[in-house]
Amino acid sequence: MPNEPTPTDLVQGTLHMLILKTLALEPMHGYGIGVRLEQISRGVFQVNGGSLFPALRRLERDGLIKGEWSATENNRRAKYYTLTPAGRATLKRETRDWEVQTAAIARILRASAGEV
Amino acid sequence: MRGVRRLLGGVAALFGRARVERELDDELRQFLDAATEAKLKEGLRPEDAERTARLQLGSPAAVKDHVRDAGWETVAEQFWRDVTYAWRGLWRSRAFLATTVCTLAIGLALVTIVFTVFDAYVLRPFAIRDPNSVYEIYWRSQEAAGHTFRWRDYQDITVRTDLFESAVVEDSRYLSSNGTTLAAAFVSGNYFEALGAPVVLGRGLAEYDASAPGTAPVAVLSDQVWARLFDRDPGVIGREIVLNDHRLVIVGVARAEFQGLDDYPQDLWVPVTMYGPVLGQNLFGTNQARELRVLVRLRRGVTATQAQTSLAIEPFETRIAGHVDPVRAELQIRGTRVPLTPDVVALMAPVFAAFALVLLAACANASNVMLARANSRHREIGIRLALGASRGRVVRQLLTEGFLVAALAGATGLGIAAIALRAGLTLFVNALPAAVSSLVRIVPLDFDRRVFLFSFFAVSATTLLFALLPALHATRLTLLDAIRGHAGSKIRSAALRSILVGGQVAISLALLIVAATLVRNGVAIANAELGFKPGSVLSVNVRGKSSLIPKAAAALAMDSRIEQVVVTSRNPLFGQLPKSPVREGTRVVPVSYLFVSPEYFSMLDIPIVHGRGFSPEEASEQSGAAIVSAAAAHALWPGEEPVGKTFRLDLEEPTGVADVLSRRLKDIDQNADAYVTVVGVAKDVVSGLVYEGMDRAQVYLPTTVEGQHARALLIRPRAGAGLQADALRPTLLQVHSDPLKFETIPLVEMVTVQTFPLRIASWIGSLLGAIALALSVSGLYGVLTFTLGQRAREIAIRMALGAAAPAVVRLVMRQSARLAGAGAAIGLLFAFTVMKLLSGVIRLDKVSVVDPGAFATGVALVAAAVAMASYGPARRSTRVDPALILKADG
Repeated sequence: MPNEPTPTDLVQGTLHMLILKTLALEPMHGYGIGVRLEQISRGVFQVNGGSLFPALRRLERDGLIKGEWSATENNRRAKYYTLTPAGRATLKRETRDWEVQTAAIARILRASAGEV
Repeated sequence: MRGVRRLLGGVAALFGRARVERELDDELRQFLDAATEAKLKEGLRPEDAERTARLQLGSPAAVKDHVRDAGWETVAEQFWRDVTYAWRGLWRSRAFLATTVCTLAIGLALVTIVFTVFDAYVLRPFAIRDPNSVYEIYWRSQEAAGHTFRWRDYQDITVRTDLFESAVVEDSRYLSSNGTTLAAAFVSGNYFEALGAPVVLGRGLAEYDASAPGTAPVAVLSDQVWARLFDRDPGVIGREIVLNDHRLVIVGVARAEFQGLDDYPQDLWVPVTMYGPVLGQNLFGTNQARELRVLVRLRRGVTATQAQTSLAIEPFETRIAGHVDPVRAELQIRGTRVPLTPDVVALMAPVFAAFALVLLAACANASNVMLARANSRHREIGIRLALGASRGRVVRQLLTEGFLVAALAGATGLGIAAIALRAGLTLFVNALPAAVSSLVRIVPLDFDRRVFLFSFFAVSATTLLFALLPALHATRLTLLDAIRGHAGSKIRSAALRSILVGGQVAISLALLIVAATLVRNGVAIANAELGFKPGSVLSVNVRGKSSLIPKAAAALAMDSRIEQVVVTSRNPLFGQLPKSPVREGTRVVPVSYLFVSPEYFSMLDIPIVHGRGFSPEEASEQSGAAIVSAAAAHALWPGEEPVGKTFRLDLEEPTGVADVLSRRLKDIDQNADAYVTVVGVAKDVVSGLVYEGMDRAQVYLPTTVEGQHARALLIRPRAGAGLQADALRPTLLQVHSDPLKFETIPLVEMVTVQTFPLRIASWIGSLLGAIALALSVSGLYGVLTFTLGQRAREIAIRMALGAAAPAVVRLVMRQSARLAGAGAAIGLLFAFTVMKLLSGVIRLDKVSVVDPGAFATGVALVAAAVAMASYGPARRSTRVDPALILKADG
């Protein structure tokens, strides 16, 4: 795969990071993750099953999250995902990278002619 | 680390697929439940809540598909699914599968065989150190050329250390060893060391083995002989091997991959200093025989051209010119058995072209069948596209099918090639007379990595060629068209099919014409008039020293089953005779000469057309009598009375070696003058090579069994004795204890031996032609069956409107004739070009390049095949009930 991220990669990568962040707060099942993302982003991100579940599958396969079946608050069975130590480390690194990148992008976008 | 985890996860997913699928189902159901519950809490009605939840999740099937796509194992899984699906589809149409696999397998097998042989002889370098710096030295003068040198010349070459790192000599001979024939290479002492030839046991030959003539009776065995004669005895070192009565101590065994630097594998290596004792020929005296091949290793930084120009060779007197002729050296790369020179390329190119054409015809055929199949699957593909399969996915599926067919074909092809190679070699050896087949040494023709790689590439290329085209073509259509049964671009696919069939017809016609020409040429040569009657006459040659001739002649004359014994300097049909220039006035005529005892002419039924034969008193090499052939008389004294003329001959010094079959043709530079007077003129005969035809100019000189030039015997068994060559063995054993000391062959078999290469060429040509013809017949048949199936409606309407069945058959036949006609025109043109090329490589003396018979045969065969292939389908298409077809399609 080339180094340049395509738009899909970017969104996908971002989604991974967002899921990790959500799970860093507390273990959660698939639907809960979607709802939480929507709540926190105030409705900007509406994640449907088609993107959520592949992302979960990838993260699980890469050992960043771990899924376990347990009972929900209303006594249903659901697969709860928790962050693994590797996932925690990845989140930390990716958050830092993201901050550096967004700060840089923001500086570029703010730049006026005199600054260059 | 992450890669490993991903891999393990993938593997686990592959194996625990059912569980993973179940879990995913549960998870999605839980998502739906949770979402519905949440919506209900928001106050939506149950139906609306569920609908919204479903919208949020999306189609469960699609989500599952996306999830599956997330891992690498899906690619493998999809591929596996494609393979099983393709296999199911192919198994349903077994006829199609069998046709394509067989077609491609035959094409691949042929190419693999050619490549294996080519690889063994031309591509695979000798198993020595740095084979690419090894060159062989040739000499060339104005009138002659050769590759054998005297010891003196070799000495001159070895001192040129400025040009060569090292120089070695080699001379290969077939010699007798206790009942078997061995190919022995006489080599210089530095041979093993300088070449870096690998030894598996003991040591290679060394300088001290070749320090003085006859001092070191030692030998190094080849791996093959070690296995064949010594059963791979690890204690073979120090044991003895007999070579022409001489006991040699075995000092080493060469590794299997090293078999000498000649065209054929060697059986053992002997110091060149044993040449005299074993062969009775002096290499080191004043009058040195020119017998040795010289191979050099170029010094780093010296090019072959540089070495060539600065290397001076003492001029020899070349025999045919009869005067001292300046000689220059030529260097030719000798890193492989057959150096890849322009000559070799010219020789191989038509052969390769023929085999490649058959592969091409096979591919065209397979492609055609695939195309027809893909077209008939439009409906299936259309439905798959409509159900949401991407175009890439369908193309991939079709390519998988192609790959499967090609892989099956490749495996089958390799199998066929392996069996055919073995069977071919057995056939090849068995087709030779026994006396000759024991001399045949064939380089091991093993499949190695390269052959497999080559086949793999051939298979891959074929897959792309014949699967991609139909695949892309079939997916380029709309659903509506497909379901309605209309092919998208019908016209283009029809044109493509026509081109493929036309091409096949062209290829098969060209191959058939070439094959027919070769066959006719071979037959013509084999049936050529010899000018004499070999009858039941047997030839007896002595291997090694010819001093056994008088004893052998006496023993054979005593045998009651034998009527007559004749002695010659070389028996007829055993290769070219030595030549001497004869000067007559200002003309110099090269005349071949042969010493014979006076009964030669009566034994072979050669009429004396003028003058007389040799009288018994003239049976002596000193008598000065000579008989010339009619052609010689005409060339030397046109319109004059030849009898009584006297002329001078330069005769070759007898070398004492008469193992004629194994001898290289060489010109020899020792001189002996003889003045002879013509006493008679004999009819022209073929005494040298059959394909060279009647001797151009020939002189017979008298000899006796005691004569210096007496080297071979001819015997005529008593009528009705039914004497076989083997039956002479007891008689000859009285002369010498080694039965292989004598080489006994019926004279008629020498014609077989000489025409053998021609026969092989015509066999291979015929085989290729037949395969190509079968391919084009099956191709045409397939195409017609398919197109007539598509045209069923049109034909039904024609017939409903009153067309008679014969008229429809005629219509179809006319169409295929047009198709085949276009192909045939190209084929004829092509055949003509190939024949022109081929005539530069193969001697076509007996038939012309544009042999009407061959061209007529080819055209007739192709026409008959086309008619046969098209009549069946045409006839069948008229047998269906028009009403049924028209109703079914309404």
